[in-house]
Amino acid sequence: MNKSTRFTRRATLGLAAAATALTIGMVPAYSQAVTLDFWDMAWAGADYVTTAEAQVAKFNAENPDIQVTYRNIPWSNWYETFVTALASGSAPDVSTGGGFQAVALYGQGEILPVDDVIAEIGDDFVPGSLDAMKYDGVSVAVPWATSTRVLFYRKDILEKAGVAVPTTFEEFRAAAKAVTGNGVYGLVSSGDAGGMHWIPYVTLANGGGLFNEDGTAGLTSEASMTGLGILAGIVADGSLNPASVGYVNNDAIGSFGRGEAAFLLSGALMPSQVPPEAAALIGVVPPLKGAHGEAETLHFVNNIMLYKQTEHPAEAKKFLKWWSDNALPLWSEGKVGNLPTRASVAADERFASNEFAQAALNEYEPIAKTLSEAKGGTFPALNAVDGDGFLVSLVQAIWQGQPLDAVVPTANDHLTELLAE
Amino acid sequence: MTAAADSVERKPWRSGARATLTPELKTAAILLAPSILLLAVVIVFPIVQGFWFSLTNGSLLKPGKFIGLGNYVELLQSPAFYHSLRFSALFAVCNIVGSYLIGLGLALLMQRDMPGRGIYRVLLLLPWIVPSLVSIVAWRWMVMDDKALFNVVIKAFGGSPIFFLSESEWAIAVVIMIRIWRSVPFMMLSLLAALQTIDRSLYEAAAIDGATRWQSFWNVTLPQLKNISIVLCLLMTIWTVNDFDTPWLLAQGGPANATETLVILAYRSTFARNDVGMGAATSFITLFILMILVFFLLRLQRRSA
Repeated sequence: MNKSTRFTRRATLGLAAAATALTIGMVPAYSQAVTLDFWDMAWAGADYVTTAEAQVAKFNAENPDIQVTYRNIPWSNWYETFVTALASGSAPDVSTGGGFQAVALYGQGEILPVDDVIAEIGDDFVPGSLDAMKYDGVSVAVPWATSTRVLFYRKDILEKAGVAVPTTFEEFRAAAKAVTGNGVYGLVSSGDAGGMHWIPYVTLANGGGLFNEDGTAGLTSEASMTGLGILAGIVADGSLNPASVGYVNNDAIGSFGRGEAAFLLSGALMPSQVPPEAAALIGVVPPLKGAHGEAETLHFVNNIMLYKQTEHPAEAKKFLKWWSDNALPLWSEGKVGNLPTRASVAADERFASNEFAQAALNEYEPIAKTLSEAKGGTFPALNAVDGDGFLVSLVQAIWQGQPLDAVVPTANDHLTELLAE
Repeated sequence: MTAAADSVERKPWRSGARATLTPELKTAAILLAPSILLLAVVIVFPIVQGFWFSLTNGSLLKPGKFIGLGNYVELLQSPAFYHSLRFSALFAVCNIVGSYLIGLGLALLMQRDMPGRGIYRVLLLLPWIVPSLVSIVAWRWMVMDDKALFNVVIKAFGGSPIFFLSESEWAIAVVIMIRIWRSVPFMMLSLLAALQTIDRSLYEAAAIDGATRWQSFWNVTLPQLKNISIVLCLLMTIWTVNDFDTPWLLAQGGPANATETLVILAYRSTFARNDVGMGAATSFITLFILMILVFFLLRLQRRSA
């Protein structure tokens, strides 16, 4: 081996060392981009996922130092998805979620307060939405979308029967009875969480609710029983489609869309889920006045939250604010089924030209209360109250025609147990 | 006792162990060790951990504190538990009896020479082959409301529609019926295999003795099927009690908890109420009940053997 070869080897080794040093020097520069996991609930169909992914791509392009990975989470077993991820230490950095998800997880020590993000956003939230995020003196999440319960009617069925649009619950019961016959029912509902919303809705709207003012279980209060009595009366009249007990929410919407029932309680933008020719026959019942002479309704404020497991809270907050600030395409192109909580988004043309959104925003939303009314605010037990299944069992029993005296006290006792836990 | 004395006392044990540990045993122990270790990791550890959970008041996110038998006491005082226990028992008994009788009838039929027997066998196996999610959702559509297939047929014969998933009694009947429908293929296949192993000479001997078909079935076929029948009952009991798919996908344990099994109760406690301790306690009581049943069925099988 000659000298020049040895030199070449040395030179090669030297070059390799220099290249390695350069590469090592480059790695930190490349890895400066923070990676965030964002789990987003399935707020609408395929259009939503496409739009949301495009939004994330836009954020990533605008913020090369933060790279967000998007994951769409289906609603089936969604809470299990989050708690098992948290338990295994693989939680996302940011996520959207159900009405009481943030507060329930905050109660377990898994959520970071976001008061600073809300302060940065400023006064751009629809009334009541910020209060629904308050627990223990902090904001546990940023309001994202409200799921407002709206009572819809079929214009064709009421016109054919010569029945006026009801304004009180008594008129509602009478109208449901009047249109029932020939394969058409006054009311269709479901025996799942969608149908369960009738319980807090009808109790709230009649001056009661799940809770008394002192925070105790309030299903058996006089006002709540009055509200539940209206449901029992509708069943006794034969005005409820008997299949409602075994229906899930989509079955009930399908039945309503086919003109098999005159009334349906559902989300504000439900008509977008039925064919356009059926949607043209749907109207919004003005908020019904309860036995106490006032009209009230129910809404759930879904939210965006930040997890304590995140290693990059500052970047996660930046993304959270960006997602909230840039939410409009998710509604205009992604067709989210809920109403926006950002006033600037709610003021968009899409909602101005949508009669259902307008009715919900202008008539229902101002009088909407959360599940916690009259206790107020939000608290971790609400998640168990919402997800436990006892209210689903109660509504199924009412739809079956079981006597209220037999089923409501049992449900109230169960609610008391949940609150004690 | 001194160390020396201790070592002296231990010697006989050691020499005994050495004598017992023959080279063959050592080899077997070495070869079996990985399997035993694997079983310990995948079976023993989860069971022990699950039992520990049942003695705590933890959630899915927090381990919780030891509360002794608190969860078991609370569960045994709960009406929901006895309701689920009753339905689970009814579910299991009806499925075992129903699927056994239908499976045996079909097995006897399939044993005969008939044109297209192979096709029938394949078709009869379909309920077992089709994924439960697909088959149960399809059933749901067929019984869901007054416009579903079953009610179309009922109305065609002049009957009134039945709201199968709305009335508790009908929902129970439908859940049991679909479970039987899903269980029959396995019963049929197992019994058919057992029928084909019965010595033909037994039937010839019975015929020579003047036995009728019924007498041959009662005195030859059934006794020959006894062992496999006990095993099938055992497996079907375990599978039915642990069946989550049928009552959940069809009615989510409803209406008004009418079809809530112990497994659904455990699921609800764990995931809906975030009460892992109670969910684990429900599972362990279910396991305990199943173990008692298995014990008696195995004893029956041993006696029969």
